[in-house]
Amino acid sequence: MQRDLILAFLVVLFGAAGTYLLLPHRHGSRTPRKVHLVGAGLAGLGLLLFAFFWTAPGPWISRIFFYVFAFTSVGAGVLTITSPDPIHSALWFAAVVLATAGLFLLAGASFLAAGTVIVYAGAIIVTFLFVIMLAQMEGRASYDRASRSPFRATWTCFVLLLGIIWSLLHIDGPSRAALAQPGAPLASIDPRLPRTDESAAWMKPGSAGSVAEVINRAVRSTARLTDDQGLPKPHVAGLGETLYTDHLATVELTGTLLFAALISALAIATPKAPIRPRQKNTSETGMITPIAEVGTAGV
Amino acid sequence: MPDTDMFTFEMLRSYLFVGAALLSIGMLGFLARRNLIVMFLSAEMMLQGVALTLVGFGRYHGNWTGQVFTIVILTVAACEASIALALILVLYNRRSSLDVTLWQEIREPGQPSTSEADVAMEAESVEALAGPESYPHLTPAGVEPAHSREAWTVRRD
Repeated sequence: MQRDLILAFLVVLFGAAGTYLLLPHRHGSRTPRKVHLVGAGLAGLGLLLFAFFWTAPGPWISRIFFYVFAFTSVGAGVLTITSPDPIHSALWFAAVVLATAGLFLLAGASFLAAGTVIVYAGAIIVTFLFVIMLAQMEGRASYDRASRSPFRATWTCFVLLLGIIWSLLHIDGPSRAALAQPGAPLASIDPRLPRTDESAAWMKPGSAGSVAEVINRAVRSTARLTDDQGLPKPHVAGLGETLYTDHLATVELTGTLLFAALISALAIATPKAPIRPRQKNTSETGMITPIAEVGTAGV
Repeated sequence: MPDTDMFTFEMLRSYLFVGAALLSIGMLGFLARRNLIVMFLSAEMMLQGVALTLVGFGRYHGNWTGQVFTIVILTVAACEASIALALILVLYNRRSSLDVTLWQEIREPGQPSTSEADVAMEAESVEALAGPESYPHLTPAGVEPAHSREAWTVRRD
């Protein structure tokens, strides 16, 4: 435990220092290339130390893939926020999304993996369009080369990360021996994260029915990953079953949300005359925007 | 009783670690970068971290709830993307820049302001590319239509 906490401090220290140096900002009279090299080294060291916290049991191939995806997602995440060119940011974010989809796949969420890739591929392409239309290329703009109070921002976020790592390290897994005896006193178990079915099995026989009843109601047979015989359900069929039985209202709400977002995006993006109080509005139609001016000026 | 499920507690914890790292890195990007598009990408990255956490928990507890929640997050992310990009478009049309500093007059009262000169002073230097600036030369094809030259040679500021 002591060793883990020291390791957590080192991870946060190296990661924060490296990310701070990598963020586009002026660091005295030193050349950006040197600063970025040092920052990349420190951040990479922090990421390597972070990997000591990961355990990926299972067959060796899924273990390798877990490490590849986890390294890619965190490393590409750092590069997303530190590269001065927004095009590079979008590309690194695509790497984050692909790696996250791989982690979904390893956790058995293949439909979500496909959905994430499809949805975010579209989102990334749209972002690309926006970058090409609007941004200055190659990170030449001064706002792309200067971060907003990078020191304070870095420490804020990495102290948050330290807090989360700290609290996760203090959670122990459930002690299986105590869970195996139904009705054993709660104090002897003390795990903070027993699986739902384990706690259900522990509570069911002989206990005062209310708690077991609540658990059985909360996790209905449609909401489980396995069927009554303990065999895994077919993936998309099982997901659809729970989506349209247990979470029907959620689906309806989500559809409503999408519709509202569509309307609001239309309401926001339709060109309107800019409100300039000091300047009299000359155009009656009020549809002329800077882009439209350029397009129509040659006609 | 040995842990029968292949997705052990330790594996869940490593998912939570990766999710936490993505969340805090995304938050850092949202706080520290000035470009509106990069800020939008950072917000999406925070959502990815949360989605990873939810999928890990759902798998650990052996139910679909985490994945259903992640589908909801995916939808919310799509809504957020559409509205954010519409906003970015409108803001760009007003100021012809993606700099979020230009919109600082809508900040809370009592917050310090930054000027354009500060930003330019804090910006890291650009390494100049060797040689003169050059553009590709395209061979004209067909008959040149009648048009006024000024349309694209005049800068719009």
